[in-house]
Amino acid sequence: MKPIVRVENVSKVYQKDHEVPIHALREVSMEIAEGEFVAIMGASGSGKSTLMNVMGCLDRPTQGKVLLDGDPVSTFDDERLARIRNKKIGFVFQTFNLMPRTSAMENVELPLVYSDRADIGGLAEAALKQVGLADRARHYPGELSGGQQQRVAIARALVNDPEIVLADEPTGNLDTRSSYEIMALFQDLHGQGRTLVVVTHEPDIADYATRIVKITDGRIESDLENQNVRRARDELERLDDSVEVMR
Amino acid sequence: MKRGRIIKSAFRSLGRNKLRTFLMMIGVVIGITAVTMVVSVGLGAEKRVMSRVEKFGLKSMMVFAGGGREMGRPSGEQVSTLRTADSEAMLREIPAIAGAAPFNRTPGKTVSYQGESKTATLFGVTSDWAAVWDWGAARGRFITPEDEQRMARVCVIGRTVQQELFGDADPIGEQVRVGNVLFEIVGVLEPKGTSPGGGDMDNRVKIPLSTFMRRVANVDHIAGIKVLLHDGRDMERTAETIRELLRERHALAPGEPDDFRIITPTEVTQFAEKVAGTFNIFLVLVAAVSLIAGGFVIANIMLISVSERRAEIGLRKAIGALGKDIRFQFILESVTVTLTGGIIGIALGFSGAVILRSATQIPVAVSWEGAALGVVFSTLVGLIAGIQPARRAAALQPIEALRG
Repeated sequence: MKPIVRVENVSKVYQKDHEVPIHALREVSMEIAEGEFVAIMGASGSGKSTLMNVMGCLDRPTQGKVLLDGDPVSTFDDERLARIRNKKIGFVFQTFNLMPRTSAMENVELPLVYSDRADIGGLAEAALKQVGLADRARHYPGELSGGQQQRVAIARALVNDPEIVLADEPTGNLDTRSSYEIMALFQDLHGQGRTLVVVTHEPDIADYATRIVKITDGRIESDLENQNVRRARDELERLDDSVEVMR
Repeated sequence: MKRGRIIKSAFRSLGRNKLRTFLMMIGVVIGITAVTMVVSVGLGAEKRVMSRVEKFGLKSMMVFAGGGREMGRPSGEQVSTLRTADSEAMLREIPAIAGAAPFNRTPGKTVSYQGESKTATLFGVTSDWAAVWDWGAARGRFITPEDEQRMARVCVIGRTVQQELFGDADPIGEQVRVGNVLFEIVGVLEPKGTSPGGGDMDNRVKIPLSTFMRRVANVDHIAGIKVLLHDGRDMERTAETIRELLRERHALAPGEPDDFRIITPTEVTQFAEKVAGTFNIFLVLVAAVSLIAGGFVIANIMLISVSERRAEIGLRKAIGALGKDIRFQFILESVTVTLTGGIIGIALGFSGAVILRSATQIPVAVSWEGAALGVVFSTLVGLIAGIQPARRAAALQPIEALRG
């Protein structure tokens, strides 16, 4: 499998004036190959979000090298990084980050606004269909449930057909059922060959990934194949059963 | 392609925040409305002066009794040095002069006919008046040299006088009383309408100058002479010749100021330009003050909007917006708001000017200059007010901005 992201001896130090420097990442090295579904796990402040930002070209490492699809992105300037983000990376955030008073369709179209593509027709519709919200295209975020909003955000991440989707605590603001739905959607996307990275502090969520990387104090504590991948669809069915029983 | 999509995105953003957009716009609307109205009134005044000059004639000049440098009617003391003999001497001795029409006048004379009375301006004129002013009788006849010789009690009346005293009846041959003297109406003047100064040029009664001087006012001087030249190009030279002639005839020693005033169309034009210049300074001030205020409002709201929209800007940058894309969007939003406000302001200003004209007689000119000025000013305000907020937005780091 070809590597999509390669992180080599990456350190990230945040230094504010006259304050003690914070070592968010300490010489981290890892590689994510095409088609992998990786969970990056860690407590708050462990450096997992920093790692995701560095992989996602939102931030540059203080030291070390980041290669994305073979490009040494850690040396690129802001403009080149922006183009890489637009073309190769899909982001999903904990708080969805949808634009208010803007239809689901227009939210999904947003990355296409900044794309170099000449023809963007039909892409947003297709992405919404992929997340099962084709019939909600004209709805505003306020008219959608949290789970639906996050699915719109995932459609937005997919619309430019990125090399990799990076999700930062995608279920952090969702109830149990919506969380399972989102993880089921991720598993479907993984099944279709998408490369996914989910950052989470919940072990329960990490269990749906095929590989789990644990981060503590800016270092990789463990990086293991998940021997026992749970299926989110099973959990959803179980939830439905218990609802039946309660009735 | 990408530009087009960003433009669409900016318009949508403005549409989503209608209240914010409205608040940003209102200052510019007021400013441009003010500018457009002032321009319309200013141009109207200038046009009025120019049309007055054209009506007066570019081959004519006026000689008024009384000195002074500024424009306008001689005020204050009665100057009795200008005589009909001066007019005759000018015509006789200066070959460039084609005609000279001396006159005297009294405003606010009571004119009555069969118990009806009204006030009008009484003019004493010679038979040459009609040719020099190109203003003769529409009906009946004008004053003749015989009328002058006989000091005849005949008059030619303006249309306003005719309508108010006679209605539809034929006034010719009727007797009117002007002051204490009875006059026979021999003609009705061609209508001239409202003078550029706002006066009714048809509310006049014209009698022979000799009759005016001997029988009505009992004076031996005149108020002025209108001089018609053969050729308008001789204007300045002829004015100087007239001046020399009159100074000599009035026995004015060197250093003594003129006791008359010569006003040429050039002078009138220059005066109009001077007034317009003053007006333009005023205009620039009004424009500057209102637009600076409007600009500050916009810059302020834009800055607030940048911090309010940090998450949006962060998101846009995270998904690939370049700094310049963000800058372009914010400046575009700002210019769109001001330009729209400007266009609304132009429409309001022109409407206001037209209403002003119909309500007050103030002359206004609805012109493309006013509209162009409005468009240019409002665009500039948008650009200037948008630059700093747009820069700030463009400089935001995506992760910082996403954190909110």
